[in-house]
Amino acid sequence: MSKTQDQVLGHGDECDGIEEYDNDLPAWWVGLFILTVVGGIGYAINYHFVSETSQLAQYQAEMAEAEAQWPAMDMTATVVVTEEMLAEGKDLYMTNCIGCHGPEMKGGIGPDLTDAEWVHGGTFNEIQNTISKGVPEKGMLSWEPILGPQKVQKVTAYVHAAGGGQ
Amino acid sequence: MSTETAHTPNYDDAVTKKFLIASVTWGAVGMLVGVICALQLAWWPANLNVPWLTFGRLRPLHTNAVIFAFTGNFIFAAMYYSMQRLLKTRMFNDVLSQVHFWGWQSIIVAAAITLPAGLSQSKEYAELIWPIDIAIAVIWVVMAVNFFGTIAIRKVKHLYVAIWFYMSMVITIAVLHIVNSLVLPASATVSYPVFSGITDALVQWWYGHNAVGFLLTTPILGLMYYFVPKTAGRPVYSYRLSILHFWGLVFLYIWAGPHHILYSSLPDWAQTTGVVFSVMLLAPSWGGMLNGLLTLRGAWDKLRTDPLLKFWVVAITFYGMSTFEGPMMSIRAVNALSHFTDWTIGHVHSGALGWVGMAAFATFYYMVPKLWNNQLYSVKAATLHFWLATIGIVLYVMAMWTAGITQGLMWRELDADGQLQYPNFMDTVLQLIPLYWIRLVGGTMYLVGLLVMAWNLVKTASGVAPKDGPEQVTAAPESLPTPAK
Repeated sequence: MSKTQDQVLGHGDECDGIEEYDNDLPAWWVGLFILTVVGGIGYAINYHFVSETSQLAQYQAEMAEAEAQWPAMDMTATVVVTEEMLAEGKDLYMTNCIGCHGPEMKGGIGPDLTDAEWVHGGTFNEIQNTISKGVPEKGMLSWEPILGPQKVQKVTAYVHAAGGGQ
Repeated sequence: MSTETAHTPNYDDAVTKKFLIASVTWGAVGMLVGVICALQLAWWPANLNVPWLTFGRLRPLHTNAVIFAFTGNFIFAAMYYSMQRLLKTRMFNDVLSQVHFWGWQSIIVAAAITLPAGLSQSKEYAELIWPIDIAIAVIWVVMAVNFFGTIAIRKVKHLYVAIWFYMSMVITIAVLHIVNSLVLPASATVSYPVFSGITDALVQWWYGHNAVGFLLTTPILGLMYYFVPKTAGRPVYSYRLSILHFWGLVFLYIWAGPHHILYSSLPDWAQTTGVVFSVMLLAPSWGGMLNGLLTLRGAWDKLRTDPLLKFWVVAITFYGMSTFEGPMMSIRAVNALSHFTDWTIGHVHSGALGWVGMAAFATFYYMVPKLWNNQLYSVKAATLHFWLATIGIVLYVMAMWTAGITQGLMWRELDADGQLQYPNFMDTVLQLIPLYWIRLVGGTMYLVGLLVMAWNLVKTASGVAPKDGPEQVTAAPESLPTPAK
């Protein structure tokens, strides 16, 4: 520290008696200030001109990564139903569907799923389509945005098997 | 009472007293509403199914009450008290002082009626409808005329650092408020902003962030520069640091607003501007913290006995902490996690309860004995208040950090199929309920502390003999090194 350490400026009589030292700026504080200014400008240059990580580019990269990891499902393809799918489908049914279709699939707010009549078609793909897209005018939600395609397929497998689909 | 002639008849202390009483009173109301809001978040039936008691209406009432009524009146009380003494003159015009006081309280009453009634502009911290906005602008200009008039008739040449900080508030808040409130009225209570879309959002957060900067930060720093050396009986650590961090702060703050709307339709370059200026704000903010804490060098021993210094140390420490947290949260990667979560609420409250509130309490405990010419009634009660408030803040902030990070992580969690692990928003909310109860406890402790202070200050003002020994009363300013007279 310099020789000015703890020397009062001597204008206390103009500041209601409050005296002020004129001490040097703490070196680490000056360093921090320079670091944030240089770092901030460096970040901006890198973000916009060097690495080109714009918001849109970040979004596209994230979506491409997800697409690679979880490829989009073909909802019209024939599905080989496994025991595992049926068990998971039953769990999903019990969590999400019993409010309207009942625990025994006998209906309630929504139609009976065990009788012979299928209002929107009884094939695997037709049931899957109904669950995916919903029937908004009847109050049936579109479940694909909520459950995702894999889970929709599992519920479909359960409903198709337990409800006696065509 | 010390030998200092705090009661120089030349100064208008009557208006200071009014602002001080208003601040404590509205503070109790505003924090009570905050506690009710906190209860409703933990247990919704507390809204009693009454529309004007629901969270959506009480929340802006809480924020407006604590920012503009509690903090506003506190700043004005401290400003009228300190600027007259620093400038060695009575306020420029007593009528303007009275108009400022009664005008400001009328605005608060109007806000307290319109907000629960559901009348709102739907801009955060700028909810008040356009006729009230006009009244705010008029009263603010009245205050500004009085403020600059007082500077013009000052009896000293030097303008002390506190005055610069007050000045930055008087000018900047006027500009921010007027521009953000530009609307086309459609009726007496309804209006539409002149800006549209993302421009409106940008103007709103330019206002919103700088309301924090120039109402909750710079004036408090200004009065810190008056009340800390006065309370500690120590010279300010560094004049040159005060100049540098003042200009750094006022220049950098005004650009930081866009960090409130990162990852939005705001152009990338504007978002980057907000991020970069927010990060650069760290050092100027810490300059204020350093000057405050280093001013207390040589006074640390008084910390054990003097509750005022305890309040200041916690206030300045929380200022340093939340001005570190703020730049961190404005970094894109951190913001992607923290945005829209309770982390933001925790951040705001570490600044509001920790910095603004504690500074207010220290200032009230300093001013009331001087203004009413009595000794503080109970140092023990003030110390109790200190611990209630400090523990309350810690509970509040820790609960909100945990809640924010928990919910932020739950929102982005994916299951094995690449789908959201918690697609039902309520699942992420229910997880936070225990933390909301902890927040309620913390907030309630803070409110109880304020009520203890109110009781203590009323006893002090009414001249009841002090409960605790006079030797425990805060260091008198005459212990300052005596300058050449």
